[in-house]
Amino acid sequence: MSERLPERAVLLRDHVREAATGLRDAGMEIDRDPTAIDRLLHLPAVALMRGCTVPVEYLSSPLRVGPYTYDMGSCLEHTLTIEELSYGDAGFMLACPGPLMSGVAVGALGDDKQRHAYYQRLAGPEPTWTFFGLTEPGKGSAAAELETTLTPDGDGFRLDGAKRYVGNAAFAQLGVVFCRRAPGPLGIEAVLVDTADPGFRAEPIPTVGLRGARISAITLDGVRVERERILGYDTLKPSRRGLVGAIRTLQRFRPVLAGTALGLTRAVLDHVRAERPALAGAARRRLDGLQDLLDAARWHNYAVASAIDAGEVRADRVAGVKTRAAELAERATLAAAELLGPAALLRDPWLHKAYRDARAFEFMEGTGHIQRLAVFQGVAKGTFLR
Amino acid sequence: MTVQDGAAPVTAADRLAAFAAALDACHERAVPGGVVVSRTGWAVASVRRLGDGDPVPDGSGTLAARHGPRASDEEALGAFREALLELHRRTLRDVLDAAVSRLDRRESEGAPLLGRQLVRGAVADVALALAQARDVLRLPRPTADRHHRVHRELVAAGRTALKLYGAFGFTAEGPGALLHLTELLGDTYLCPEDPEAEAGHE
Repeated sequence: MSERLPERAVLLRDHVREAATGLRDAGMEIDRDPTAIDRLLHLPAVALMRGCTVPVEYLSSPLRVGPYTYDMGSCLEHTLTIEELSYGDAGFMLACPGPLMSGVAVGALGDDKQRHAYYQRLAGPEPTWTFFGLTEPGKGSAAAELETTLTPDGDGFRLDGAKRYVGNAAFAQLGVVFCRRAPGPLGIEAVLVDTADPGFRAEPIPTVGLRGARISAITLDGVRVERERILGYDTLKPSRRGLVGAIRTLQRFRPVLAGTALGLTRAVLDHVRAERPALAGAARRRLDGLQDLLDAARWHNYAVASAIDAGEVRADRVAGVKTRAAELAERATLAAAELLGPAALLRDPWLHKAYRDARAFEFMEGTGHIQRLAVFQGVAKGTFLR
Repeated sequence: MTVQDGAAPVTAADRLAAFAAALDACHERAVPGGVVVSRTGWAVASVRRLGDGDPVPDGSGTLAARHGPRASDEEALGAFREALLELHRRTLRDVLDAAVSRLDRRESEGAPLLGRQLVRGAVADVALALAQARDVLRLPRPTADRHHRVHRELVAAGRTALKLYGAFGFTAEGPGALLHLTELLGDTYLCPEDPEAEAGHE
């Protein structure tokens, strides 16, 4: 598939692939104890995640490979990086400190001063974990309907409400919270929250798999928010911040999430080949069929990410590739368990972990049902299959 | 309760004639002036192109089939399989687009059926299968196995699409007749010679 990628992307991919070697043991450790990431911060993959989407001018040693310097500001390069790290271990990748989705939101909405403060903190010597607080207990990820409130309070605001299914929130120092300042879609804001502030509480939610994501529930009880912590408040019109920022961040990040699912899928298919090199007949053809679907989905994901880099954010295609990737990860792990024989999940702890991890992608950044509605809109408008 | 039944823009006979012409174009691409014969000796083309064949049941007199001893060479078969799958994709896409138009016109309980989430999900499922088939067919180094898998996925998506038409999808006048021909052609040209070897597929 290299022939379809530009040279700088191929060099980046090969570099990250090297850094992802050996992450499986680390991933198994994190699956047993999600706080184990604290003991693994010396690994090269952690440095990659810490610098991902932080502009190079903030980094003391930005990633350089050959003649190129990278900050993963490109959706394609970000996607490739995450796919390769997820081939190593998706749970490990998600447990790492760094900007992840919050960085995309700050990059899209923050003013110069906000971005500067955010990137300075992320590039500092101490590892900083972040979160992206959108999903709510009663409303899911429907950004236009969220109920967390931002209420004027003296010369600032107070933040009240609850968020659920937020990665890393219980371990983070900093995050973006989407909230409602006024009724209607223009009343949505995104605010930067320091988790040390009074009124902020977060607890991990135990999950079946992908424990490195450290999915959490947040309670916001009168958290003080200064005006300068509202992203883009002084520089963007209400119609260009808040809700728009949530949607832009989700769409920019969906190929990255698809890359996570596809990295895991590739690891699973390679694992089956390594464990059953003599697989033949119908079983071999079944594996070949899944490999075809994986190759096709990867190619399509790169095309969608490249289109985003070119300024073409097509909601229907973004939704389609996320759906395909998430479903393929589940299909591949189900097939792997069958192809490796009875009790494979008990005999093969790594497969068992991948099998559990793969179930997460359906629920991350919009379920398959929600994505299908976006695909449908594309069919109705005649754009999806064009 | 359904209160409106939409009319197709062209007749079923027109659609079948257009399909037969498109099938002949697939033959022409692989064997100029002739017909492609499957590994098991079967050929299916329009009645005009395959004058001495027997009418294909359910082809409404537009397609004919013939059995003979000699299969086409691998190069011709490979080119024909690709052309056939493209025809299958185009046909299914037309069926899907027509279903969307039809369901937007049909009402149930005072609202278009197209507004139902279950319907929208089924439309999306078919579209996702079409996109996936397109991407898999673009992969390098095509094989007969891959072509058969794509055919199978398109058949499954086609059955989903037909459910959007209700009982109309089962009539000879409806889109079911066309999709049946794509299934028949896949059964003739794309199925593996040893069905036992396929046992255990997803």
